[in-house]
Amino acid sequence: MKALLAAALFAAGSALAGTVGQPAPDFALADLSGKPVKLSDFRGRYVVLEWVNPECPYVEKHYGSANMQGLQKEFTSKNAVWLSINSTREGHYEYYPPQKMAGWMKEVGGAPSATLLDPTGKVGRAYQARTTPHMYIVDPKGVLVYAGGIDDKRSTSKADVKTAKNYVRAALGEALAGKPISAASTAPYGCSIKY
Amino acid sequence: MASDPIYPMCLRGFALALALLSLAVPGIPGMAAPVRTEQVEAELVAERSAPKPGKPFTVALRLQAIKGWHTYWRNPGDSGQPTAIQWQLPPGYRAGPIQWPVPEKLPIGPLANYGYEGEVLLLTDIALPPDAKAPARIAAHAKWLVCNPERCIPQEADLVLDPGAAPRAQQIAYAREALPESAGPGWSFKAGGAAGGVGLEIAPPADFRATTLHFFPYEEGKVHHAAAQALERRDAGLRLFIPAATQPLGALERLHGLLVADGVRGFEIDVPVKGVVIAAPPMAAASSLGLVAALALAFAGGLILNLMPCVLPVLSIKVLGFARGRDAHAMRVHGLLYGAGVLASFLALAGLLMALKAAGTAVGWGFQLQSPVFVALLAMLFLALALNLSGAFEFRSLVPARLANAAASHPHADAFLTGVLAVVVASPCTVPFMGAAIGFALTESALVALGVFAALGIGMAVPYVLLAFEPRWLRRLPKPGPWMVSLKRWLALPLYATVGWLAWVLSIQMGFAGAPGAKDLWQPYSEARVAELVAQGKPVFVDFTAAWCVTCQVNKQLVLSRPETERAFADRGVRLLRADWTKQDPGITRALAALGRNGVPVYVLYRPGREPRLLPEILTREAVQTALADLQP
Repeated sequence: MKALLAAALFAAGSALAGTVGQPAPDFALADLSGKPVKLSDFRGRYVVLEWVNPECPYVEKHYGSANMQGLQKEFTSKNAVWLSINSTREGHYEYYPPQKMAGWMKEVGGAPSATLLDPTGKVGRAYQARTTPHMYIVDPKGVLVYAGGIDDKRSTSKADVKTAKNYVRAALGEALAGKPISAASTAPYGCSIKY
Repeated sequence: MASDPIYPMCLRGFALALALLSLAVPGIPGMAAPVRTEQVEAELVAERSAPKPGKPFTVALRLQAIKGWHTYWRNPGDSGQPTAIQWQLPPGYRAGPIQWPVPEKLPIGPLANYGYEGEVLLLTDIALPPDAKAPARIAAHAKWLVCNPERCIPQEADLVLDPGAAPRAQQIAYAREALPESAGPGWSFKAGGAAGGVGLEIAPPADFRATTLHFFPYEEGKVHHAAAQALERRDAGLRLFIPAATQPLGALERLHGLLVADGVRGFEIDVPVKGVVIAAPPMAAASSLGLVAALALAFAGGLILNLMPCVLPVLSIKVLGFARGRDAHAMRVHGLLYGAGVLASFLALAGLLMALKAAGTAVGWGFQLQSPVFVALLAMLFLALALNLSGAFEFRSLVPARLANAAASHPHADAFLTGVLAVVVASPCTVPFMGAAIGFALTESALVALGVFAALGIGMAVPYVLLAFEPRWLRRLPKPGPWMVSLKRWLALPLYATVGWLAWVLSIQMGFAGAPGAKDLWQPYSEARVAELVAQGKPVFVDFTAAWCVTCQVNKQLVLSRPETERAFADRGVRLLRADWTKQDPGITRALAALGRNGVPVYVLYRPGREPRLLPEILTREAVQTALADLQP
């Protein structure tokens, strides 16, 4: 009976993917050199997942203002892992093949631990990622501890970056300091992911 | 880099040039022509050619998007951005808020946006000072995001109302007609937490007709934007099931937004969700079982019921009866009648529960065990059964001879009543682990609820009905003989235990004994206490329990009362609250409903700043440890 209930609960659990407090769905995606990168390989460290699409004006806001690159550098230097994921479907005109994506990352001075392509959208859907950017934080035990926006100013204006409350910096700061995350679920804003 | 940012820059340049032009040549209204981007034509239009003092003056931002492109409503949905207008008005003029027309739901792959395809007029009322002098310069800086399913472009423009332009009274009047109206007298609403969302009960005015209804929330992140909302027609009115967001941003405490009929007529509503004091946690969202899953779960639950300690001994008597051997036809008839008795009893219970709910009583599954009278009768019944199995008496010697003869001469009635008896004795065991299926059943229509209860009954009856039809299986049982007597003696033991336990439940209900677990570690539950502790940043664990709930007691003994579990709670600074549902308690019933449940046990860990986390009903030490470990890295 326990096994039956466990099975029922497990089945229910899979519908909860991408929800704060639940285990983060594991995945393996190819990085820009084709090497597979697996989420569960980073157990023991905080992992930031950033949904990115270079063609999106909201992404341009955060890269054009060096906001995203700053966060990437700040937290990878504190032993966190930063994975930028592009879930634009192959065939969409905003799709960037690996080389083009690598060129763009280099041009904007991006500093994620790895840039991953998810052209089938499988991983994006597993996390119920909706926008670019859409940000997630996975704790060292593999549990999702943050899901939501990059900050609280819904706009494409680079000037807003300075005055906005950056949710990701706040959440990671609190998590790394061993404090509870005060805003663990926030509203993501940006372009729709081109599934 | 992307070409997107070029548009706003172009536009800005264009607008700036216009602004400079107007500065250079004051009084020339030529700049008021519509501003055009590749996707959008934007302009300000007014009801009258010039504002008149003391009269309301309505101005609209008209955005005309080309085919396939849209702009956004006040809640843009899963992505996007609402249009914003910054008014530039003469001193003393004041602009009201944008009056948003009824939006459309625009599906984009697995996501949905709320907005407007093609043309939209965003009306704004401008209040004039009494000494206003015409002509006044009405201008605005407008920002909007225009998207098609493939891409999004942020745009902005400086716009001026052309005082010389012809008034667009008719266009404004049409736009005003398309505004949502408030769902005033004639309407009544009731919203309650349901598994995975909120059920909105709607009693519309008598002349109201609609094929479709959809709720658009003003606030984002609480209602699931993309999900379909099931509309159900009931005898009195309608019921709309509104799924909650899967990554909720907070409690869905009220339904504030628009109810849109047939995609065009909007009614503004603001309905509190009764009993929901906290966000539906992720597990509750997931327990929105489908009908098929609920039926399957109920059937499996019914099968398992046969193995429960309160049922097995009683039904063993039945098997022993089979084992005595009868002719095949009589056995089949008896098997079917037994099944009918089980089914009828479950349906009767379901009917009673629904009738009580309909009468407004805050009851949940297990309600029968909240009544001391029922518990007392049940205890006596179990005692009689146990004594009977022990051989202390035969039923025949206790009940009036006429009745005993009746049972003997009416074996059909006997078989049916055994089915009824099985359900009665099973009730302490049905309650605990059927929570999900029964919770689902009670949030659905009466027909669905009856279906789920019927599946439970069929599951419970099926093994014996099959045995009746396939007596060959019975041959594997040892031949009747003296061993049966000793087996009966042994089977009596769990029944005596049940009697003892029911007496304990009764003593609590009658107030003779202290509430269960009245140890210092556990404080009594109240909604306010949870809110207070969580606000202080303290995690709170709530044990929703009842003395009559077997699973609850097992979990308590094996998990919650263990010293290592208590230590683990203490180490994490978790406050422990116990919600005791042994007696009726509308507050606890409401809290359970908010969690998508309708019975106990339920275990919840409230975490400051995060969604509450539900633990499994069959609690394990590992499950508690995992939940606690997740509190703090």
